[in-house]
Amino acid sequence: MTTGATIEVRGLTKHFGSIQAVRGLDFTAHPGRVTGFLGPNGAGKTTALRMLLGLVYPTAGTATIDGRRYQDLHEPTRQVGAVLEATSFHPSRRARAHLKMLTLASGISERRIDEVLDLVGLRADANRKVGGYSLGMRQRLELAGALLGDPGALILDEPSNGLDPQGIAWLRAFLRHLAGEGRTVLVSSHLLAEMAQTVDDVVIVSQGVLREQGPLATLTARARPTMRVRTPEANRLVSVAAAAGFSPRQVAADVVMVDNASPEQLGPLLASHQIVLYELTQEGMNLEALFLQLTQSLGSSMGPSAPQAVVPPVPA
Amino acid sequence: MTRLVRSELFKLRTTPGPWILLVIDMVACGLFLLIPFHQAGSLTGGGYAAPSTVQDLRDMLGVGYEAALFLAPIIGVLSVTGEYRHKVLTTTLLFSPRRADVLTAKAIASILWGLLLGLGSFVVVGAEGLSWFAADGGSFSSLAHQIVPVVPGVLGAFALLALFGVGIGVLVKNQVAGVLVTIGGTIIVEQLLVALFQNVFHMDLNWLPSEASAALVGGVFNGRATGAGRLLSWWAGGLALLAWGVVPGVLGYFTTFRRDVT
Repeated sequence: MTTGATIEVRGLTKHFGSIQAVRGLDFTAHPGRVTGFLGPNGAGKTTALRMLLGLVYPTAGTATIDGRRYQDLHEPTRQVGAVLEATSFHPSRRARAHLKMLTLASGISERRIDEVLDLVGLRADANRKVGGYSLGMRQRLELAGALLGDPGALILDEPSNGLDPQGIAWLRAFLRHLAGEGRTVLVSSHLLAEMAQTVDDVVIVSQGVLREQGPLATLTARARPTMRVRTPEANRLVSVAAAAGFSPRQVAADVVMVDNASPEQLGPLLASHQIVLYELTQEGMNLEALFLQLTQSLGSSMGPSAPQAVVPPVPA
Repeated sequence: MTRLVRSELFKLRTTPGPWILLVIDMVACGLFLLIPFHQAGSLTGGGYAAPSTVQDLRDMLGVGYEAALFLAPIIGVLSVTGEYRHKVLTTTLLFSPRRADVLTAKAIASILWGLLLGLGSFVVVGAEGLSWFAADGGSFSSLAHQIVPVVPGVLGAFALLALFGVGIGVLVKNQVAGVLVTIGGTIIVEQLLVALFQNVFHMDLNWLPSEASAALVGGVFNGRATGAGRLLSWWAGGLALLAWGVVPGVLGYFTTFRRDVT
């Protein structure tokens, strides 16, 4: 493997006619880390990634891999592997032939074909026509093609779309494994919850603009948990919690929500006031709510869903 | 570039389309071979006979030209439009981001497949044509005299018409449209235009693709129909056909092929 490559995006801008798909985007993806490139559908993620890969020409700004544009790389597929949406295969070509075609074009040894087929677990189906492949198998084949050149950087656009839960779990582990080998992994998604277990760093975009960038841990620290408490003494609980500096909200006769509180804080407090509890639960990490808030705060056209909306962790 | 050409040839031979073209090519040539034998027969009172006139001998040797007109452009169209139709252009460009190189490799691979179709036609001429010719007592020495004016031209027509298909493919991007434009253009529209301009404006559009390729192949199937002398010389025809291959390709490169791939 070539050593991990640093992906750098500076002032990247793309206009399609009057539509500003990407506006002055800056971010960096580092070797050995999985960087989640996150934002709602239509945020400009795909356009930005395609500019990084020389498929779409930037209106302004640069997108480089180890300081060079993709189309200026000497052996691009040995340095960067890409799995993009909306790519396909000739349906009557066999999977092995598809990979052979790619080795011929790139000068990569044909010995790699079996190696990458093993890596993605497609060896047994390699001689089937791609037309008969499931979506998950196509994604794996796409990934196999991206890994042919044993690249130091991997760029994946919504790779979990269309995968079943097992496929997603496999992909997560696989991306972690690749980053563990020192590679740079840049992966886009419209679901933070799905990526939270995989990524080290996040780059959050909305409407073509960078909203947030940094380690996921920083973001997690900002997303404090909410506690759900069920008690027959709701009124007393509200006053006790408020007196302790929390902002409790009574949402039902016997249910109180306390934002920005942890079980470690709330449990001892309520015990010391001898308040009877039926239930004390932590309501997720609220990371998704923060994500929605970040990507929505530009207002206007982002759709009606409230910041508290519960987003299912697996795409339909 | 060698890598890219090998990859493009591999693409062609791992899909059914180009092989189907080769089969149609050989079957069509087998049928078209009847024409010069029938023509020769009509000179001697009906039935079939070995060709003996220059025109009939050329029609027999160069029978592939008729197939080239409608088949060779399709190979170029398939090579380019298949990338759009099956959305493989993204993968192709990831593996070779320099688009001019990709298009050049496609042109070379299509020309080579065009030559294969040309060779296919000569296999049919050799197997079927020569055995009929021998059985009917044809003169091999007069046939041999027509090899130089016809054979290189037929191969050249297959190659350049394939290139023409690449150019049209890049311009229109859509596979069905590409096939219709090339076949409909050379076989229907062009014949109508030629006739119209000849009769109404007394202009000879002998530089259009099929007229130009007819000149390149020594007037096969064309001298009789439209009268000898009106075709371009073989080299001028070849140049005109080359222009029909290169100009649309270059235009297409600068208009469609360099666009954003989204």
